[in-house]
Amino acid sequence: MPEIFIDDQRFEFEGNPKVLQFVLDQGLELPFFCYHPSLSIPANCRQCFVEAGTPVFNRETNSYELDENGDRVIRWFPKLMTSCSLEATDGMVIKTHRSSEKVARGQKDTLEFILINHPLDCPICDQAGECPLQIQTYKYGPEGSRFEHKKVHKPKRVQLGPNVVLDAERCINCTRCVRFTDEISKSKQLSIVSRGDKNYPLTAPGTEFDDPYSLNTVDICPVGALTSTDFRFKARVWEMNQTPGIDMTGSKGTNIDLWVRNNLVMRITPRYNPDVNDHWMPDEARKDYRRINENRISRPSIKLDGEQVKTSWNNAMLTFNEETGKVKPSEILVIGSPHASVEDNYVLSKFFNRLGVSDVHFANDIEKGRGDDFLITDDRAPNANGCRFLGFTEHDPAALGKAVSASGVKMVVILGDDLIGRGAFPAEAVQGKFTVFMGTNNCDTSNAANLVVPITCSAEHAASYINEAGRIQRTIPAKETVYTSRRLNLEMSLGRLDHFATKFDNWESDDNKVDCIPAWEFLIRLVQETGGDLTYTSSREIMDEIASAIDTFSGVSFERMDDEYGIPLKKENQPQGKTV
Amino acid sequence: MQDWRTYEPLLIPSIKDLHKIDVYEKNGGYQQLKKVLSDKEQTPEAVTNTVKNANLRGRGGAGFNAGLKWSFMPKPDGGPRYIAANGDESEPGTFKDRMIFEYNPHLFIEGALIAAYAMSIDAVYVYIRGEYRSWITMMQKAIDDAYAKGYIGKGIMGSKMNCEMYVHMGAGAYICGEESSLMESLEGKRGYPRVKPPFPAQKGLWGRPTTINNIETLANVPLIIKNGSEWFTSIGAKGHPGPVLYGISGHVNRPGVYEYPSGMLITELINDVCGGVRGGKKIKAVIPGGSSTPPLRGDSLDGVRMDADSLRDAGSMMGTAGMVILDEDTDMVDLVWRISHFYHHESCGQCTPCRDGTGWLEKTLLKIKNGEGEIRDLELLLDICFQMEGRTICALADAAAWPVRYSVARFRDEFEARCKKSIYAVA
Amino acid sequence: MEKFEFNKAERDHIEKIIARYPDSQSAVMPVLWMAQEKFGHVEPDVQKLVAKTLDLPEAHVYGVASFYTQYYKEKMGKYVLDVCTCLSCQVCGGYDMLHYIEEKLGIKAGETTEDGMFSIQSVECLGACGYAPMMQITNDIYVNHLDKAKVDKVIETLKQGKMPEFEPIPMRVAEKS
Ligand SMILES: Cc1cc2nc3c(=O)[nH]c(=O)nc-3n(C[C@H](O)[C@H](O)[C@H](O)COP(=O)(O)O)c2cc1C
Ligand code: SF4
Ligand code: SF4
Ligand code: FES
Ligand code: FES
Repeated sequence: MPEIFIDDQRFEFEGNPKVLQFVLDQGLELPFFCYHPSLSIPANCRQCFVEAGTPVFNRETNSYELDENGDRVIRWFPKLMTSCSLEATDGMVIKTHRSSEKVARGQKDTLEFILINHPLDCPICDQAGECPLQIQTYKYGPEGSRFEHKKVHKPKRVQLGPNVVLDAERCINCTRCVRFTDEISKSKQLSIVSRGDKNYPLTAPGTEFDDPYSLNTVDICPVGALTSTDFRFKARVWEMNQTPGIDMTGSKGTNIDLWVRNNLVMRITPRYNPDVNDHWMPDEARKDYRRINENRISRPSIKLDGEQVKTSWNNAMLTFNEETGKVKPSEILVIGSPHASVEDNYVLSKFFNRLGVSDVHFANDIEKGRGDDFLITDDRAPNANGCRFLGFTEHDPAALGKAVSASGVKMVVILGDDLIGRGAFPAEAVQGKFTVFMGTNNCDTSNAANLVVPITCSAEHAASYINEAGRIQRTIPAKETVYTSRRLNLEMSLGRLDHFATKFDNWESDDNKVDCIPAWEFLIRLVQETGGDLTYTSSREIMDEIASAIDTFSGVSFERMDDEYGIPLKKENQPQGKTV
Repeated sequence: MQDWRTYEPLLIPSIKDLHKIDVYEKNGGYQQLKKVLSDKEQTPEAVTNTVKNANLRGRGGAGFNAGLKWSFMPKPDGGPRYIAANGDESEPGTFKDRMIFEYNPHLFIEGALIAAYAMSIDAVYVYIRGEYRSWITMMQKAIDDAYAKGYIGKGIMGSKMNCEMYVHMGAGAYICGEESSLMESLEGKRGYPRVKPPFPAQKGLWGRPTTINNIETLANVPLIIKNGSEWFTSIGAKGHPGPVLYGISGHVNRPGVYEYPSGMLITELINDVCGGVRGGKKIKAVIPGGSSTPPLRGDSLDGVRMDADSLRDAGSMMGTAGMVILDEDTDMVDLVWRISHFYHHESCGQCTPCRDGTGWLEKTLLKIKNGEGEIRDLELLLDICFQMEGRTICALADAAAWPVRYSVARFRDEFEARCKKSIYAVA
Repeated sequence: MEKFEFNKAERDHIEKIIARYPDSQSAVMPVLWMAQEKFGHVEPDVQKLVAKTLDLPEAHVYGVASFYTQYYKEKMGKYVLDVCTCLSCQVCGGYDMLHYIEEKLGIKAGETTEDGMFSIQSVECLGACGYAPMMQITNDIYVNHLDKAKVDKVIETLKQGKMPEFEPIPMRVAEKS
């Protein structure tokens, strides 16, 4: 296999990797700005310098030429090379800043140049704390500035479009944003304009940067030149916990990160998954944090005299068990949800199977024409396939509405799906039928329900979702509920403040904790209440059971999902699902 | 070497109305194209070799052997291949290709077509700076005439050769003279130089094999085909042979473009050709080949010849042979500031050291020019140059750094005299 | 608001321009030139027209138009006096000429006279260094060997709505001694 020597360490490589990407893949550090693995390579920032050389091959002897010490003679490129654009070749020798003064000087010099026209306003810049320029300046930059002139001034606070604000003075002209709109979203709405040190990216006069993926440019902008209109000035990066999650606004299964401070999700950003969304996500999906933070159902409630009245968990469970006792299994309509997790749906189905209800139904949530060829899907739900693979009966919303209205139905149990709100059936359809709604947010369906059970949302539980391509991926709890604690719950991620802060700079409060539990937990508590034998203690355990019980899921586990960017479920194992 | 006094111009001979196609034809025009097309021995490889052996070094600045460059073109694969003829001519001090457009456009066209034959080219794009509108009109007329006579187009001169030729008008960007920026500009983009590799011969215009040559370079080709490579190498300097259009400006009595063999003594060009320095003044400096070439001190010109080797030994470069003669009254600080202003204005802004370095150089020089500079600013200038040189995508950064670096080194007394006495002890 | 359009003949001509290149994007510079010729500038609405005509993203056309200095991104005077102050012109009195013209027209480089007749720009080398100092008029005629008298004359000519004559480049040979 071809080999390459980086700072005297030998590595083998395959194919034709570029040196920078190869170095990064080895877990080594090399500073860079303009390079992005999913975009073309302009090599314009000149930050990724290395020294490079190739061994001298003697065709006559068919071997490498050796010096008097028996070492290969290396022909060095006379100039510093940009490693991002330099292709690795067999026997290549690379010196990074770790072994070359020249490279270290080159990196420092580039940073000095970048900084002379940079406003140096980190204290008021959103990017501070996650800014490659800031980080690299600390690590590789000059100690001070020798620039004693007026900086170049450029437009600030330019509202490029509904979601993105530009501060052109902070821009380092890496062209990542322009390349994104040219090569990925293909809206081609941005161009670098003007010339020389007056350069900066802009839309054409009179046009808006309304690319449905515009906020990705904010993510990849290596400085604070592009910021999010919505997130601007709301939180500093180091105050937030970053937790991996899955997008709930479509069936693509876009991998995301949830950024939580004080139990509020402050922003959502895309998380890399080469098989699903690469580095990107739609703007619309980022607004989903509002669903997580706002208008949540907290504490159970029951309907008394047409009004929802808060009640205790105990009363909620008693009521539930009483009501199910009043009706025959055939009179209960159980509705699962493409918006809820595999685990919640599974336990729902299992719970009612125990009671003798054999069928679980769900309504798909399709908005024709919403999708594009990229990350936005017609399907507005993250887990329709989960319902299908669990063998639920699929309906169009209207068809499900009919089933609900059927006179034989005395009790309706709805898991996390605002069916009334999305027009499957009117509120009157459930009048006179005892309706249980297990949901996350107040909505038309919760208003109509006789019993409302608050359940955790994707940001509060560990649970799996199956995307349109049949890939199962899972969430990790990002925010605490009244009953969970970041420090005690092993599924939760700990942030910087959890690790390093003292009590005084960790302003944890109970304000934003929702009084809710996972739907599955509510259901097994019901069982335990009646002395039953359903005894899961975690969603992990539920998934283990699903994996052994249902062919489609064989081999699936949280560990594997974590290690493998989710798991594509085997096509031949996927049931077609029942539709009516 | 032939005495320059008896030299008769070949690129711009004094023949009345030579720019008209029938006059050009009457004077043997397009016969060399005919020769390569009809003579069995003149295979594309043979033509390339002749040009290579003639050691025709590029007249656009870098001085690369044209025939050797042509030989880098891959074998034809059926797809289109291009020549981009570089008439951007924007390096300050350079004004020679314009002479060919006005006085001998068909010589260039014929040369370009021979090159096209040698490299199996489908189309030649003649990139001319937008400011040269008058000369673009002339060039376009010459091309139209050549089309009409069947020298360009399909089945050239009854042969199987097809080749189109188009003029592309620039619009005010020096950087578009850099070959890869020129190609971007031709493709309808901002003139951002490309990262090399891939080189134009591999991936040039529209991703296809392309060769870029300067206008004057191509104009030499028919002469070589006519008289052979040995004849060509016998003209002028050994390592850099052939006729050269010297564009001489600045403080001489008779500035202008002169055609002489390469390797002329700088002093001869100034004193004998251009009638000496205006007002009989002494020479302070000579910029030998356009603003990017390091200025030579007036007292170091003895024996220095206008060819690559001699100029290298003297500490400069041939560049475009656009010489600027500066007399003893020239303010070198002002001059170098203005050169820096040029490069600052013309940097495409793509890569960091050039985008920000050119501005820093200019601002620092302005400070010195205004009498606000300190001695340490001179060291800073040299440091900025060091930080720019060899660190960028194209050579504009080097072109910006060299005149500063060498002026500060060679005229240091003048720069120091403009600086404030530093409040710090100068070590 | 002024409406910018290409007529049929112009659109046909644009098709011919496009045919010179493998793709229509390559025609953006010649078409911007055509537009500037016709409308006198390439303000945003004209750029829009060019983008539409060539089916290119507007941002791309804006990026190109703003890169090249000869495209007038805003309205200029009827005559734009581009005075070279670069290297050879600088050392041969280019700035003196610039300042003389500024004084004469009562505006600074970068400005336009109130009657909209003249704009002045201080520009980079125009490739006429041997005939310094010199200027170009509205991207067209070169006026060489400037001195005050010649400037006066040129401005007078322009005020009468005429362009100065084209000056052929002098053919140079050494004076045989
Ligand atoms: C910044 C820059 C500007 C250049 N400008 C010109 C130019 O105006 N005309 C030209 O012929 N070559 C110019 N060149 C050189 C070209 O890149 C290229 O080397 C040349 O056109 C090749 O032709 P030649 O080999 O015949 O000289 C420039 C190079 C650089 C780096
Ligand atoms: S705005 Fe950001 S991403 Fe865009 S070019 Fe500037 S620094 Fe790069
Ligand atoms: S060196 Fe200057 S002109 Fe060349 S690519 Fe870089 S920024 Fe552009
Ligand atoms: S990462 Fe920007 S030049 Fe390599
Ligand atoms: S310096 Fe003025 S034309 Fe060249």
